[in-house]
Amino acid sequence: MNDPHRLLAATLGVALLATGCTGSDPKPPVKLLVSGAPEEIAAFRALAQAYQAKNTGSAVQIIEAGSAGDLITRLSTSIAGGAPPDVFLINYRAYGQFAGKDAIEPAQERLDSSEIIEPGDFYPVAMEAFQWRGRQLCMPQNASSLAVYYNKGLFAKYGVPEPKAGWAWNDLLATASALTRDANGKPVNAGEADAGGRTAVVHGLSVEPVMIRVAPFAWSNGGEVVDDPQHPTRFTLEDPATREALRNFVDLRQAYGVVPTDQEAEAEDEESRFVNGRLAMIMSSRRVTTTFRTITGFDWDVAPLPTYGTPANILHSDAYCITRGAADKDEAWRFVEFAMSPQGQRIIAATGRTVPSNVEVSRSPAFLDPAQRPKNGHVWLDAIPVLRRVPTVSTWPEIEDATSGLLENAMYRGDPIDKVIAELDATTRPLFARAEAP
Amino acid sequence: MLRHAQRARGRLGGPSPYPTAAARAGRTLGAAFIVLAFTAPLLLLVGGSLRRPGSPPPTRPELVPDRVTTEGYATALELGGLLRASVNSLVVVAVAVPVGVLVASLAGFALTRVPRRIAGVVAAASLGALMVPTTALLVPRFALFRAVGWTDTLFPLMAPALIGTSPLYPLVYYLAFRAVPTELYDVCRLEDVSPMRTWWRVAMPLARPVTAAIAALTFVVTWANFLDPLVYVYDRERFTLPLALRSLATLDPPNAPVFLAGAVLATAPALLVFAMAQRTFLGHPGRTRR
Repeated sequence: MNDPHRLLAATLGVALLATGCTGSDPKPPVKLLVSGAPEEIAAFRALAQAYQAKNTGSAVQIIEAGSAGDLITRLSTSIAGGAPPDVFLINYRAYGQFAGKDAIEPAQERLDSSEIIEPGDFYPVAMEAFQWRGRQLCMPQNASSLAVYYNKGLFAKYGVPEPKAGWAWNDLLATASALTRDANGKPVNAGEADAGGRTAVVHGLSVEPVMIRVAPFAWSNGGEVVDDPQHPTRFTLEDPATREALRNFVDLRQAYGVVPTDQEAEAEDEESRFVNGRLAMIMSSRRVTTTFRTITGFDWDVAPLPTYGTPANILHSDAYCITRGAADKDEAWRFVEFAMSPQGQRIIAATGRTVPSNVEVSRSPAFLDPAQRPKNGHVWLDAIPVLRRVPTVSTWPEIEDATSGLLENAMYRGDPIDKVIAELDATTRPLFARAEAP
Repeated sequence: MLRHAQRARGRLGGPSPYPTAAARAGRTLGAAFIVLAFTAPLLLLVGGSLRRPGSPPPTRPELVPDRVTTEGYATALELGGLLRASVNSLVVVAVAVPVGVLVASLAGFALTRVPRRIAGVVAAASLGALMVPTTALLVPRFALFRAVGWTDTLFPLMAPALIGTSPLYPLVYYLAFRAVPTELYDVCRLEDVSPMRTWWRVAMPLARPVTAAIAALTFVVTWANFLDPLVYVYDRERFTLPLALRSLATLDPPNAPVFLAGAVLATAPALLVFAMAQRTFLGHPGRTRR
């Protein structure tokens, strides 16, 4: 092809042919934006199919985002660009940025007039997390919280009693210390691990140094993490009870060495470490259950969070939100209604990753399946009365991002606790100051 | 005219950059070091992809798993929809690479035909455009593509080719075409050869190594583009490889071999393109095939 004009024309022609044209659909599908692993996406596809089977002529298009971060990128660009999805699933800690910009269609009126679902069907703590300025904005799909997953094989091997409901922080520490072992199976004592030249190959515990892991212990100790849960202006980590909880949290690594070092945590993530049988306990939400169900080498179960006297736990919840710019809000709501109904909740509960927000479904075998691990799955339901939540202000994701590095430095590098508290305060005050509050 | 061009090729070639045995040995050693540095992670990637999915993750890197299996590849193709995604990626690069190279070279050539002052202004504007963060353009581009009905199609992924993929590439061509002796262009003009013909028959053959390099870079940039499909493509049937691979990245740790198998499949074409292009763009310009 020697003629440059022809070459250009041919290339552009291929461009036009390659993508083709799409025909117009008389009734556009409800566009549902969700993030998650392939098995979660498969559950949403099953949910969409069930909805379509029940509502002839209706269709749902699943828009996948690999991670929560990808979902935010997709969502914010499409909202700003004027073509948002109809419905999206988002965590209560992240929806404030969209609520603050009035990008979410309130669910309140449609919920009030619904003949399929009513507010009393769901756990109030999850519903409240998605209320914005007195109105129900989104519908919570789940009501998870933290639990302590433990390797029963390691407990039996080293003759350590399994954790029981009502156990205290000091019990957690003693248990984790008894299970932190070197290559010869001998206990690696506290902060002497490195000094003695012996390193732990089995760690007693793993917990991420992030605010949502520290908060429940501060609450349990009678402290607060922010000055006003509804209209926070600053962190209150210098509060003696909160400071003590934070100090003890950091000491898990700094004083006792029962959690992996920074390098160890970077080299092997905590889930892999648990699956490999080299971690006795891990503090996590219901999310990791699916991974742990693949374990064949040992038995495992869950225990409630230890306390400082007052039981407390932290809400982990995601909700279906309808966008202001949804093409057909009524059709979008019909889908949300279905997803929140017992049938819809059972489909998602089958993944094992979530604690249904629908009270009836959470108490059914769809969640408490006796044939499935963990045996003590009821710990998530037992925790619901003591669940609290972090603020839902619009800048909360930025605030969490700003805190994680500083808490890591305290946990792994041993930065002085008061210096960390002061830095956290200084870094996050401007973020609190420009937040939109619910 | 062609005799002039051939002579010019000889002049452009110049002396070899590796005139002595020591220089050549140095180049070989340097190349070996780079190959080693980049081969190790690739081998680990391939080794990890051959582990059995669902088995506990290895506690340390393994070059060869105890039990080699291709289950990860089968699962990646099925779970990640990698076949469909590969076809989409191939369609995008099949259009974007030639269009991008042609536009960049045409723009670069056009710059050589305008007064230096204007070319300088355009070059400065291109450098300015290079400094604009990609994320700053996401929303305006989304609004633009939405207005022309291109969202949820592959067009937005090919569209950057219409401006030469990157503002840098026309500048690279501009510099390459400027290196061609001006008397050669003068001869073309005297012989009444059209600017388009001069570009195609004289300038482009002289810049073959540059074309190979720009084509390879355009391929890699387009092939690995994650952000654009994330924002503009909704339907899984239109996912390209990076987006499909992203969904595999969320698999739990025991299924890491599935993700690694997907990564091998996504990386192999880029390596192939570099292997094909390297003879041209690493070779001595005077020794390029004519």
